[in-house]
Amino acid sequence: MKTTFAIIVDTFREAFARRIFWGFFACCTLLMLFLMFIMRVDVVQGAIATVTIFGRNAPSTDVQRLVHQAQGVIAMIMYFAGMALSCFASAGLVSAVFEQGRVELLLSKPVSRTHLLLGRYAGNVLVVATNIVYLVFGSWIIFGLKTGVWGAGFPLSSLCTIFIFGVLLALIVLIGVLWDSAAIAIMASFAIMIVTPILAQKSTLERLLSSEWSRDVVRVLYYALPKTSDVSIIIWNLILHQPVASWMPVWSTAIFGAVVLALGLWRFERRSF
Amino acid sequence: MSAYAIETDGLTKVFRTRFSGRELRAVDNISLRVPVGSTYGLLGPNGAGKTTFVKMLLSCTHPTAGRAMVFGHDTRGAEARRPIGYLPENHRFPTYMTGWDMLDFYGALSGMDTAVRRKRIPELLNLVGLDERAHNLRLGKYSKGMLQRVGLAQALIHSPKLLVLDEPSDGVDPVGRKHIRDVLHSLEQQGVTIFLNSHLLAEVELFCREVAIIQKGKLALSGSVEDLTQGSGYRVEGLHVPEKIETELRARARSFAANNGSLQLLYGTREEANQAVDLLRAAGCEIESLGRSRSTLEEVFMKTVEGEPQAQGAKA
Repeated sequence: MKTTFAIIVDTFREAFARRIFWGFFACCTLLMLFLMFIMRVDVVQGAIATVTIFGRNAPSTDVQRLVHQAQGVIAMIMYFAGMALSCFASAGLVSAVFEQGRVELLLSKPVSRTHLLLGRYAGNVLVVATNIVYLVFGSWIIFGLKTGVWGAGFPLSSLCTIFIFGVLLALIVLIGVLWDSAAIAIMASFAIMIVTPILAQKSTLERLLSSEWSRDVVRVLYYALPKTSDVSIIIWNLILHQPVASWMPVWSTAIFGAVVLALGLWRFERRSF
Repeated sequence: MSAYAIETDGLTKVFRTRFSGRELRAVDNISLRVPVGSTYGLLGPNGAGKTTFVKMLLSCTHPTAGRAMVFGHDTRGAEARRPIGYLPENHRFPTYMTGWDMLDFYGALSGMDTAVRRKRIPELLNLVGLDERAHNLRLGKYSKGMLQRVGLAQALIHSPKLLVLDEPSDGVDPVGRKHIRDVLHSLEQQGVTIFLNSHLLAEVELFCREVAIIQKGKLALSGSVEDLTQGSGYRVEGLHVPEKIETELRARARSFAANNGSLQLLYGTREEANQAVDLLRAAGCEIESLGRSRSTLEEVFMKTVEGEPQAQGAKA
């Protein structure tokens, strides 16, 4: 346990040193300050009834919808823009471990390779998760205090965002182990973020494609790859307290992440440095 | 418990190029025994396979064939690496850490408790000669010599029974080298096995009791430094030798060197040396020294690597 803790602390230390953590932290803080500013403008320009409602601590349906939509926008910004930034920053954090002269020293310690890599992976997820939780919970508290609208959907959405980041990080780890390249890892994670929303339009693509085999390719890719677009719809529904039609995008994405991480660990075990 | 700190059995590593599939035998069937408590030097020219051998000992590189054991345990198991302290060549310590942080991190990875680490870290930093300012200075600000010292401290953090050092005094000034050698001598007296991979032959000769020379991936030579540097001839040194006798002595000698009134002669047999002594004494010359000739480790190394004997002195 103390070994795992040491690896996680080291990942945080490196994220601090590379200004990754503080960069995210500053972005999140700015976003929250911006949010506070916007809300104040809304209150000034909004109907008097809204303020009165605040005074009565009984939010109206309109305010509730407005808050949920605003939370949805923040969650989507965090989900897409934050995810891209996180992948960009994390690729270097993962590949740094495989640097010659550093990896040998780590491997000479009485710690299994799986333990080392999983510890680094967990540390990296926690670095990003800390900022996601900071932004989401910070915004949630600001919304709650200003409007009295408290719902579990927005905080829960952060779990989905962290989960998707965990899956993309598994891909970054695999590519890092295979090629030691932060650049390829970034490209692959960005490709996933670009391709999967297209694949999410599976029905449309199937209609447009003429041959059966090309439809099969689309289906295989859709089910095999992580469903970032579908998960974003689930997040939106959670925030707006709407029913989630299917959890398949989540569990199939989880399977992708688990398989890719297992491949990364397997390759790391076998690799000579 | 095994009598050997390191034991390799037919250790082989073959690298294959990715596209052409061409093979390179970096280490070829090396079987080596390093007794517990010994000071052992691993020598070889660049590209001989020394670092690959060391990496296989530590399970950083997986062998193609054979196995490596440390204190009787296969090093592929994580626990087998617990008694090893390692200082790699061309290390890249995390520059965002201070000296203290680094020792704390690697100590934790070695399974040490926080309280033990807190007590051990200042002791070690002082032992390797890093003052208190350096304790809280980021490694990015360290000089090469300071990095070597903190690297040595890192290797010692968990009081290992086997120390594997790859070029430990690289970039360290002569005073620092002496200091590192003193630290290693004190560890040797405590029974720690020291396995040294170094290009500095004089350093290895000064410190190690046993050596192995690797050439093109194969074990070319191994044995005690004492035996390997034992020369095959006899050295006679006389003072103020008259020219007439000098000519006669030189004619029988295998090699000679004249310097400031002193004549050094090397003979192949005891009889030849005795005859030379008789001649010198008969001519009233003083004998400055007399004894078996010795080779330096460098000469042994060069003979092994180049496969040809090195001249002791130019023969006219």
